[in-house]
Amino acid sequence: MTSFQRWAFCLTVPAALLTLCLYVLPILQVLALSFTEPTFGIGNYVALFQNAAIGRVVRTTVFVSAVTTALTIVMSYAVAFALVHMPPAQRRVALFMVMVPFWISVLVRAFAWITILRRNGVLNSALVGSGAVGEPLELVYNQFGVIVGMVHYMMPFAIMLLYANLSEIDHRIIQAARSLGARPVTIFFRVWVPLSMPGLAIASLFIVIFSLGFLVTPAILGAGRVLMVAEYISVQISSTLRWGVATALSTMLLLVVGALIALAMRSPALRAAFEGGRK
Amino acid sequence: MSINRFGQDAALIALDKFKTGKIDRRGFITAMAGLGISVAFKPGRASAAASEIVVCNWGGAALEAFQKAYGAPFKAKSGMEVVIDGTGPATGAIRAMVDSKNVTWDATDGGMTDAVVLGKGGYLEPIDYSIVDKSLVGEGLSAEFGICNYTYSNVLAYDAKKVGATAPSSWNDFFDLEKFPGKRTMCKWIQGQLEAVLLADGVKPQDIYPLDVDRAFKKLEPLLPNLIFWESGAQSQQLFRDGEVVMGNIWHTRANLLRKENPDYTWTWNQNLMFASAWSVPKGNPAGKKVFDFINSSMDPEGQVTLLRLMGNGPSNPKALALMTDEDKAVYSLAPENAKTGLAVSAQYYADNEAELQNKFLDFISR
Repeated sequence: MTSFQRWAFCLTVPAALLTLCLYVLPILQVLALSFTEPTFGIGNYVALFQNAAIGRVVRTTVFVSAVTTALTIVMSYAVAFALVHMPPAQRRVALFMVMVPFWISVLVRAFAWITILRRNGVLNSALVGSGAVGEPLELVYNQFGVIVGMVHYMMPFAIMLLYANLSEIDHRIIQAARSLGARPVTIFFRVWVPLSMPGLAIASLFIVIFSLGFLVTPAILGAGRVLMVAEYISVQISSTLRWGVATALSTMLLLVVGALIALAMRSPALRAAFEGGRK
Repeated sequence: MSINRFGQDAALIALDKFKTGKIDRRGFITAMAGLGISVAFKPGRASAAASEIVVCNWGGAALEAFQKAYGAPFKAKSGMEVVIDGTGPATGAIRAMVDSKNVTWDATDGGMTDAVVLGKGGYLEPIDYSIVDKSLVGEGLSAEFGICNYTYSNVLAYDAKKVGATAPSSWNDFFDLEKFPGKRTMCKWIQGQLEAVLLADGVKPQDIYPLDVDRAFKKLEPLLPNLIFWESGAQSQQLFRDGEVVMGNIWHTRANLLRKENPDYTWTWNQNLMFASAWSVPKGNPAGKKVFDFINSSMDPEGQVTLLRLMGNGPSNPKALALMTDEDKAVYSLAPENAKTGLAVSAQYYADNEAELQNKFLDFISR
């Protein structure tokens, strides 16, 4: 370490201390409850694995998160790919459109989806009116509605992450591929996709981690029919006062997310993403 | 607890639906605060001086309504200021306050169930019945750690335009998909849900408790595809407005708001499920015994009728009935003609079983 590096490192100390005192310690305090409430020991963790209901909540969460991640990635990649190929003036408008949902609260967005998807909502009225379907479709207050809301919430994040990655790709490589006689499909799968792996990896990781902790969207769009981990924890804390189970489940969630990050960091693509672009 | 949720809801009645979620989140934050997170950084926390009573309720419209109904009359009598703190006295928050010996509330607006649960846990002062006159409230509305400040009901509400010529008049009709096709809404929070199911299944009111959960689930199962579960009162109202449901098991205060906006929405008092909300006093409250003067004063029928007119929360003092117009009686759960077929929801039963039952119910409805 040079003296400049040491000095730079010192700049991070206040933030680190603040985080430690106001965030890490209280969280540890809460997680400690999982070993002390209601009695001392690992009873809460044993209960987690024996309780069929918790098993179902976890399965629902994993399934919904997986589907959300897959859909978000595919659609966001398409948008990001289009953004990269737009003329600058168009791109500014398109980026603005991507950013707008960012400024709208998650609650408003959930209610907006209800307005669109409900039985007499915008979409069903259009479908029934045009004769496309005879009966209104069940689009909300179920898993489908929850996934729609979650994908919508996650897309701006994923688009920004992928766009940052795609715009770093050197277009001369694409030209080289073309001059060597590659067809567009080949170029896409053998040049674009491999080069955007860091972006895909970091976006997927980001969405999975976010999805596991969704609270408001599943509660509103699922209307009791889709119970996910975050809501389950919230009910145990505020209603049933089963803090032991709630904190044990929170600890598990934290460990799973930590493990996911640790695993992901072993992949060269992600390491590249975290270490920034070309050095 | 559902009763707190009602308190929350009553408070929200004048706010728009988007605020609902915020409150839910705040309820969650409050609970987190109960776990010792960020407790030191909560702004707007009222702190009690010796000459004031701090009442904690669920905020929103209830801030002003409680001040008018309970605060002003008490100040006129005693000269003591009543401060209303709208943080929301979640059971978790009360527990954390008492544990950390940092009690700032004198009286909390919770539920009878909470009063029993927290009382048993040693987090509450027993109500001092040498100061509070037990005879002011109706039978069964006073307990060791809580005394009823207002009442409300879950009722069968329906959309008259959609149910056809004969209106549904019992929980049995609620489950009759042939006679009344269409979706229904019930509440995600357990209190008052399975009672309706069992009444529909023919259980006699006197045999409802202890709840036969398996029997209730069996009866409920075929209805699940036609059910939407509401989480907040505002949402229950919205489901009717949107034309999503033809019937619902909802709070009478919300049914009343629906009817005010459109007479097609109405409800039956038949087999309504009656709840008692309650004042409780956290252990080691700052104003000490003086809080019981306030609680006693809050039983005055005039103030209670004021609250009924402002928010729809029904008086716990039977004498309030004499002050009511027919219009007031029409929205009062304990008016004789409304209470006739009502079932009192058992706070004691839920104090013993709510946590487990709530989890079972959430698991059952999300399968």
